[in-house]
Amino acid sequence: MSMNSRSLLLSPNPNSLKYRFTNGLLSALSRINRKQSQQPRSAREIRKRHRLIKAAAYGSMASSVGNRRAWSRALLWKIRNQTRRGYAARRNITSSSRQLSMKKRICDLQKGDQSKNRVEVGGMGQVDKLRRLVPGGQIMDTCSLLEETAHYMKCLVTQVKVMTSIVEIYSLP
Amino acid sequence: MGSNENEDMEFQHRNEGSLNCPSSGMSTNPLPDKVSRMTMSSGSMFKPSNAPDHFFGSGWDPLVSLSQSDNFGGSSVASQSDFTNPRYPPIAMETQGMSSTSHLVQYPSDSSYVEMVPKLPCFGSGSFSEMVGSFGLPECAGISNPGCVANYNPNRDGGIDRTSTMGAQSNDDRQISEEGVLGSSPNGKRRKRVPESSPIKNAEGESNKDMSGESSDYLKEQDEKKTKLEENTAANLRGKQAGKQTKDTSQSGDAGKDSYIHVRARRGQATNSHSLAERVRREKISERMRLLQELVPGCNKITGKAVMLDEIINYVQSLQQQVEFLSMKLATVNPEVNIDIERILSKDIMNSRNGGGAIFGFSAGMNSPHPYPHGIFQGTLPTMPNTAQQFPSLPQTVMDNELQGLFHMGFDSSSNIDSLGQTTSLLKPAL
Repeated sequence: MSMNSRSLLLSPNPNSLKYRFTNGLLSALSRINRKQSQQPRSAREIRKRHRLIKAAAYGSMASSVGNRRAWSRALLWKIRNQTRRGYAARRNITSSSRQLSMKKRICDLQKGDQSKNRVEVGGMGQVDKLRRLVPGGQIMDTCSLLEETAHYMKCLVTQVKVMTSIVEIYSLP
Repeated sequence: MGSNENEDMEFQHRNEGSLNCPSSGMSTNPLPDKVSRMTMSSGSMFKPSNAPDHFFGSGWDPLVSLSQSDNFGGSSVASQSDFTNPRYPPIAMETQGMSSTSHLVQYPSDSSYVEMVPKLPCFGSGSFSEMVGSFGLPECAGISNPGCVANYNPNRDGGIDRTSTMGAQSNDDRQISEEGVLGSSPNGKRRKRVPESSPIKNAEGESNKDMSGESSDYLKEQDEKKTKLEENTAANLRGKQAGKQTKDTSQSGDAGKDSYIHVRARRGQATNSHSLAERVRREKISERMRLLQELVPGCNKITGKAVMLDEIINYVQSLQQQVEFLSMKLATVNPEVNIDIERILSKDIMNSRNGGGAIFGFSAGMNSPHPYPHGIFQGTLPTMPNTAQQFPSLPQTVMDNELQGLFHMGFDSSSNIDSLGQTTSLLKPAL
């Protein structure tokens, strides 16, 4: 009995965040697997792989979101800076000036928050915790922080779902 | 972003709805004193003709009696509105908007509001008279009502102004000429003022600072006494009392900071520029919190920002931990084959549907070409199924998960990885 299963299956929307993320993650994973020797068994190797995979997951998520969101921009910037740390030391102008401007922005924002008595939110430092959790949350005002948190949560959920299914597929055989 | 436009639209709707307010306001007469008073004043403001008969009929007499009772302001307002009718009809439309009706219903018995109403006729107070002259009067707290009666007639304009503050009409009337020039920022709609340019606003603001200062003082007193109500009429009235232009400019000044978010001070709330901006901010934040509440599972019943924030933080932390755990798991798993993206995404789809038929078809199709390890049916997943075992038939009682596993196993065990992409191709009529 031949069934045209394709008709039964809904082809994934190629424009959805999920699709883009999955693509990115899979390509990164294959890259990682190619570079490393087969069957990495040592703990150190596994830890290294773990780090790479985690970076790949967040990186591909941020890439699929693009520059539309502040948190994805911050995440991408952080990742790119991490990879360029070696070069940044030489090219002090670009990276350090950017860091300085970001720091200034953080200070200004924090000062602004204090001056306006933002008492109603974060009675126990919760907003600060949230700032630390969401990438790029340090330089946002509370209102945008909440908005970014909502989108970030949605992307995290997608990430978890896709990675779960990848793990399932991997572990099946 | 869109929020600004929405706010603007809301204000427009309010203005459009003002036409309906008077009638609704009238209907709320039986409401508690304060509410009724407010309604009366607002109602009278909008459409004097619709004012309840008993209010108008009393004329000035009720002023004295009302002053003793809570209805003073209402009746006085109503009577005032009578006189002012010819002038106000155009204004009536604009300022009050829906707020008057809405806040008729919601006004709690607020003693301070009671005081507000009586003040209208009290033009006697020196400060008020000044104010009246230039703007609508802000609420005069505690002005003796009887004393006002005498002043009422001569100060009709002032009284009207005050009533208009209730209904935000007086300001309109007074400043109508000015406003007309400005395109009559309709009833505190700063929309028109904002684009005019900050210098104009600043000039107006400075000139009106004295008045606004005094009025704001009164308003502040009122605020302290009153609990914050989310009634628009009160706020509108206040805004208008302090002199529309001043308030508008100050408010629009705040709006200017916010890229022209138009805010209208609500009744019972401070019209200080800072508090207005703060209120806008707070509303934005609560709106975002509501959105977040929908995203976080199981947070429908939580009220309160602190608890909600705790939940949000916990949820984000747990999600991040899950990502970490999954990436660790991926790191330990050996990558045997390249995974087709469709497999991953279609797996989710198949999971969602009870794809029994599809899976059976798949498994049956794959049965002959691909040997499956025996362990599949037991739910354990040993190494790749490159064993020579072959399963003649798949029991129909295999669970969906296992079937799906079989499906994928078929892909995995296939030496021809390309065929994996063609999911349906496996369903050859090989059976």
